Amino acid sequence: MSVKNLETDEHRLSDFYNPNVLINLGPHHPAMHGTLRVMCRINGETIEDATCEIGYLHRAIEKLGEDKTYHQWMVYTDRLNYCSALNNNIAYAMAVENIMSISPTERCQYIRVICMELSRIIDHIVCIAANALDIGAMTVFFLLIHWREQAYSMIEGMCGMRLTTTYARIGGMSYDLPDDFTEKLWKFCEELPAAIDEVEGLLNSNRIWIDRTRNVGVIDRETALKYSVTGVCLRAAGVDHDLRRDRPYYMYPDLDFDVVVGSNGDVYDRYLIRMEEMRQSVKILKQCNKKIPSGPIWVDDKRVQIPEKLDVYTKMEVLIHHFKIFMEGIDVPKGEAFTCVEGPNGELGFYIVSRGGPKAWRMRVKSPSFMNFQVFEHTVKGGKIPDAIAHLGSMNVIAGELDR
Amino acid sequence: MKTNAFSTNAKFLEAQKTIFARLTEKYSTERKLEVDKLNEPVLWARNPDDVKILVKAFKLDDNLKVDFLSDLTAYDNQDGEDGAGRFVVVYQLYSTVLHTRIRIKCLINQHQQVQTISDIFVGANWLEREVFDMYGISFAGHPNLRRILMDERFSGHPLRKEYPIKQREPFNNNIDFHLGASPLSVENTVTVNAPEGEK
Repeated sequence: MSVKNLETDEHRLSDFYNPNVLINLGPHHPAMHGTLRVMCRINGETIEDATCEIGYLHRAIEKLGEDKTYHQWMVYTDRLNYCSALNNNIAYAMAVENIMSISPTERCQYIRVICMELSRIIDHIVCIAANALDIGAMTVFFLLIHWREQAYSMIEGMCGMRLTTTYARIGGMSYDLPDDFTEKLWKFCEELPAAIDEVEGLLNSNRIWIDRTRNVGVIDRETALKYSVTGVCLRAAGVDHDLRRDRPYYMYPDLDFDVVVGSNGDVYDRYLIRMEEMRQSVKILKQCNKKIPSGPIWVDDKRVQIPEKLDVYTKMEVLIHHFKIFMEGIDVPKGEAFTCVEGPNGELGFYIVSRGGPKAWRMRVKSPSFMNFQVFEHTVKGGKIPDAIAHLGSMNVIAGELDR
Repeated sequence: MKTNAFSTNAKFLEAQKTIFARLTEKYSTERKLEVDKLNEPVLWARNPDDVKILVKAFKLDDNLKVDFLSDLTAYDNQDGEDGAGRFVVVYQLYSTVLHTRIRIKCLINQHQQVQTISDIFVGANWLEREVFDMYGISFAGHPNLRRILMDERFSGHPLRKEYPIKQREPFNNNIDFHLGASPLSVENTVTVNAPEGEK
C-alpha cells in the first residue's frame, strides 16, 4: 500500500466512515514514553490492527560490549533501563563474577540487595506516576515523584550520581555506604508506606480509575507464557514466578518477602501488583538495614580488586596494578554463563561468552522490555486509542532497554 | 558460593541433576552435552534442522517441563573455536515449574537456514528478527523476517565480527512515504567506510 493507492482508493483518508484509517502513535508523542512507535489501523476509535516499530534508540550497546573491556562496559549498563540503573549495574557485575567464579563479600551482597530494591521502588514509582498522569490523575504523579527524589538523594549519597550510577564494580562496589545511610534508609522505609497508602486511597476504588484500567490491556496466562513476558506483566496474568524466590541470588533466601500475583492480567492488576511490590521492597530494605554486617566490600581477589587510591599514589606495585586493571582490563577466563535477575520490569539477563582476555566475545542483553513490547502489538487490538496509552504505560517499556 | 544461592540449595541441585540425567539418557546420542560456568546444561544440536525437533520434544517432555523461552540469540564463531560453522544460534529455555534452564546451541553456516520456532513459542518472532538483523541468519518459515532494530535501508549485519565498529551508513533523510510492507530498495543507501587505521 502506498500513498498513491490510498488516494485513488474509493475510501479516501478524509472519509469519516473509512474503516481503514492509519494512525501513527509516536515515536515523538509524549504519551509514548520514549521513542516507541505504534502504527494502528483504526475503525472509528477501535484499534483493529497494530504493529510496533522499534530501533529508534538503538546505540549498538551489544557491539560496544565486544569492543570495550568488562570494566569499561559497566557505564553502558546504566543506559539500558535508565529508571533502574543500579539494578542493571549489579546484574552485569554478577554476570561477570559468575564466569570468574567470584562471590562478593556478605556486606557487598547486602548493599547490592538494598540497591536493587531501591531501584525497584524507583522504577515502580515512575511507572505508576506516569501511567496515572497519562490517564489524567496528576495528583498521583506529584505525590509519588517526591519519593523518587528521596530515593535519588540516597543514591547520590552512595555513589555521587543520581540517574546513571555506575555504582557496582566487578568484585565489589565503588564506594561503601555513607555513615548516615542507615538512618536515611530507615526514615525512607518508615515514611514511604504512608505515601503508598495515600495513593491507593486515591485510586483503588476511584470510579474513573477503575473504568479506565479494569479489563483494559488484558494479557492472559497463556498469552503471557507464549510470548515470554516476564516480571509484573507475567505475575499480573496469574503466573507465580519471581526469580528472587525461584532462583534466588545474593541474600534473598535469608530475607522474608511475598511474591505478589494477580489474576486478570489487566492494567488495574499490574497497578496493584506494583503498589504491593513496593511495600514488599520496603520490607526487604528494613530487614537489610537491620542485618547488614560490617566488613570489607571488596572480594579478596587480586584479579579484580581495584586498589585504594591512597595506595596508588604512594606505592609503586599498587600503581602498576591499578594501571593494568584500567588500561588492559580484567582477564576473564574462557567460558559462558547466562545470568538473570528479577529486574523491576522482568527478567533481565546477561549472556556473556568469554574466549579469555579482557573483552567479551559476545555480550548479550536479554531485556524484559523487548518481550513485553512484543506482546503489546497483539493485546492492544480491539481496544480504544486511550486504552492503548493506558496499556502501554502499565507495561513500563523503557526504550533504552528495548533498543539497546 | 553464595552468589547464586541456587547453586548451593539442595532442591536446585536435585532438579539440575534430574534434568541433566534426563538429557544424557534421552537426548545425548550424537549430540554434545556440556555444562557452563553455572553448571547449567548446554546441548548442541546435530544440525540446524535438529533445533526445532529438540524444542518440540523438550516442550512435550514431562520430565523437563520446559514451557518458557527466555532468550534466543546468536554469536559469531569466526575463529572456529566451537567447531566448523560460522555462527552459533543459542536458545535459552526455562521451566517455570522446575526453575531449571536448558541451553540449546546450534552451529550454522552463512547460507544455511534454521527452522523458526515462532510457531512453538510465539515470543521467538521478534528475537529471530533481531538475530536476522544482527547476523543475517535466516529462519525458514518465519512469518515476518525483516530487520527490527536497524533501518530497512541498512546493508550489512552489525554484530558480525568483520563489521567495523566505526562504520557509518548515513541515509538521505528525505525518503518517500512508505509502509513496512513495502520497504524501499537498498539501492538508496550510501556506505561510508571508516578511515583506515580507525577500525
